[in-house]
Amino acid sequence: MRIAVLRPQVPFARGGVEIFTDELVEELRARGHDADLLSIPFKWYPGERVLTQAFLWRLLDLEEADGRRIDLVVATKFPSYVVRHREKRVWLVHQFRQAYELDGTDLGQFGPSPEDRALRRRVQELDRSALGEATRLFATSANVAGRLERSTGLVAEVLPHPPQRLPYRSAPGEGFVLSASRLDRAKRIDLLLEALALDPSLHAVIASDGPDRGRLEELARARGLDGRARFEGRVAGERLAELYATCSAVFYAPVDEDFGMGPYEAFLSGKPVITTTDAGGPLDVVHDRRTGLVVAPEATAVAGAAAWLRAHEAEAASFGAAGKELADEVTWDRAIARLLA
Amino acid sequence: MKIAYFSPMPPESSGIADYSALLVPALHAHVDVETLRRKAKRPPRGADLAVYHIGNDPVAHGWILDALRRTPGLVVLHDLVLHHLVAGVTIGRGDGHGYLDAMEREHGVVGRLLGHGVLDKRLPPLWEARPEDFPLTGEVLGLATAVVVHSRYVADRARATGFDGPIAHVPHPAWPVPDVAPAELAGDPLVGAFGNVNASKRVPQLLEAFARLRRERPGAKLLLVGATSPGFDLDRRLQRLGLAGDGLIREGYVDERRLWSLMAACDVHVGLRSPTMGETSGTAIRALTLGKPLVVTDAGWFSELPGDVALKVPVGDREVDELTAALSLLAERADVRASMGAAARRLAEGPHDLARVAELQAAAFELAAGGHDVADGVLREVSGAAAEVGIAPGSPEASEIARRLSEVDLGA
Repeated sequence: MRIAVLRPQVPFARGGVEIFTDELVEELRARGHDADLLSIPFKWYPGERVLTQAFLWRLLDLEEADGRRIDLVVATKFPSYVVRHREKRVWLVHQFRQAYELDGTDLGQFGPSPEDRALRRRVQELDRSALGEATRLFATSANVAGRLERSTGLVAEVLPHPPQRLPYRSAPGEGFVLSASRLDRAKRIDLLLEALALDPSLHAVIASDGPDRGRLEELARARGLDGRARFEGRVAGERLAELYATCSAVFYAPVDEDFGMGPYEAFLSGKPVITTTDAGGPLDVVHDRRTGLVVAPEATAVAGAAAWLRAHEAEAASFGAAGKELADEVTWDRAIARLLA
Repeated sequence: MKIAYFSPMPPESSGIADYSALLVPALHAHVDVETLRRKAKRPPRGADLAVYHIGNDPVAHGWILDALRRTPGLVVLHDLVLHHLVAGVTIGRGDGHGYLDAMEREHGVVGRLLGHGVLDKRLPPLWEARPEDFPLTGEVLGLATAVVVHSRYVADRARATGFDGPIAHVPHPAWPVPDVAPAELAGDPLVGAFGNVNASKRVPQLLEAFARLRRERPGAKLLLVGATSPGFDLDRRLQRLGLAGDGLIREGYVDERRLWSLMAACDVHVGLRSPTMGETSGTAIRALTLGKPLVVTDAGWFSELPGDVALKVPVGDREVDELTAALSLLAERADVRASMGAAARRLAEGPHDLARVAELQAAAFELAAGGHDVADGVLREVSGAAAEVGIAPGSPEASEIARRLSEVDLGA
């Protein structure tokens, strides 16, 4: 089957969606499909540009390429699903969140003017129209599916995908908490740093990069963490797998996250996850005292959870093992079989 | 965003006042709403949008139509037929010419001649005799920059009049379950009908059908709640049908608390209406909140109620037969009543949920206030980019772009 996987591209940025779509194409090819990744840069500001840039997808003719029919397209996140195709399948990573649950928050985009309010509604209408055309509609997590249904009335099947391919392994914990989330405000790494400030016995490794790095490093300095929070930047796969293998727990507490590969990566390394009650998608698999600890989004609670897991190695190991059982269920074989059914 | 909100409000006795009293607090979560005092002439300074609630009652809505005439805005159209309103603000104010002009504008010379017949008292008032044939909705729709309706029925007919602005279909919100005890009324079953007692509520047909039901189930009782309309001889009908004794429980106009209590006591709710003015029934919505099975006329908004919530009776020769069959079914089958009641409650908590309705209303308001600017901005940028690469207006390529914009509602 000829399959086009569609991904909007934010130039010079790479995160979970990029990893997911790259691997989806590879996995489709590995199963004998003629798959390719199609990408268009996306800039969502100022003003109506969020709509005009989205509209670029609508002008594409993907019925065939070079005289050969494209059997199916798989759109992933806003605005790639604005595309037209007779067999448009959507595996929704997320909608344009600024038009929904982030509206009115620090992470929002639209102001109080009538034009901005109407612009936000137009984005919502575009979603209803474009997603309503999908011949099959999947969401990467129950959180994403729930948001979709609340905002558009459309019902998606929940279809999680495996995390990035790494040489996952497990080793005894060396006493540090790992955070591998991209460094932007929504991932709330500052909660972990504040937890370290409260408990001088805690250590953390932050193995990622992003636009919030400067602020976070400054925060660590201001709190006098004195190297207890080590910023390693974006690390290679082998190093990341080693950090997962040797940490005591993984911190993953974004605000109302869509899906989040972090917990799956932790589980495949046999490690428990510390998350928060408002984390969204991760709560599909991080269950309190079964696969990790789910605590209030407060530094004291995070500090307490990290200290408890370090002190209770047997429980931490059993949480990690239970998580691994869950993660092992999420395979490309199963996901692709449902996607193409 | 600031909304100037023109609507009857409590303590006015009006279904639309009750509606706004329910909705406005929920709207505050999305927009800044200023409800205007009765007789306000214009939106206050700084308002981004004026919202006018228009219904057919000239006493409740005459001042709102006056304000709409001064400042166009979004109309929440509660009734499709506005003949009574138009007559009230013309003939009712001594402006017979205004009435004739309205009739001619929407129904041509024949309309004007009929209007003369009404003014000369040679014809019965058309707002009573044939309002559905002469709805007189044109002026209001002509002034509306956008419209909110509660049913597809009204949306389709508003569009059919030629209105080409945005129309948002937003369900009527459901009230929360009230904290009242059911009235202590007997009846096996107790069938309730609420609202004015008159021919357009199909009370003659209901009485006849209920009398037939009583022959099979002597324990059944009918609760009729509401004022009797002038000229409707209820007592004589009851006597003729043998319902004057203990088969009927009668209450006149009741306050809101008593209304809920009486409604909660009923096993079955009947909401009949013909002709329909396109209105949504506030009492039927209350029945949904209470999880009561409904029997309704198969017309207008009522036709759009899901089949698992309401049994629908068509108007016509077999109306009484079908109404009797519906009442018998619900009288005999407690399980059907229970499943329909559960479906009613789901409908109240789903599509009619107050927070959801407020969100949809706010969306309609925001699009009405700023949507044009957004559409203009999109078209300006897309057409500018097309022109830069030599795609001329009117060319096949420009038409293709316009078609694609239209497919996803991004056109003007």
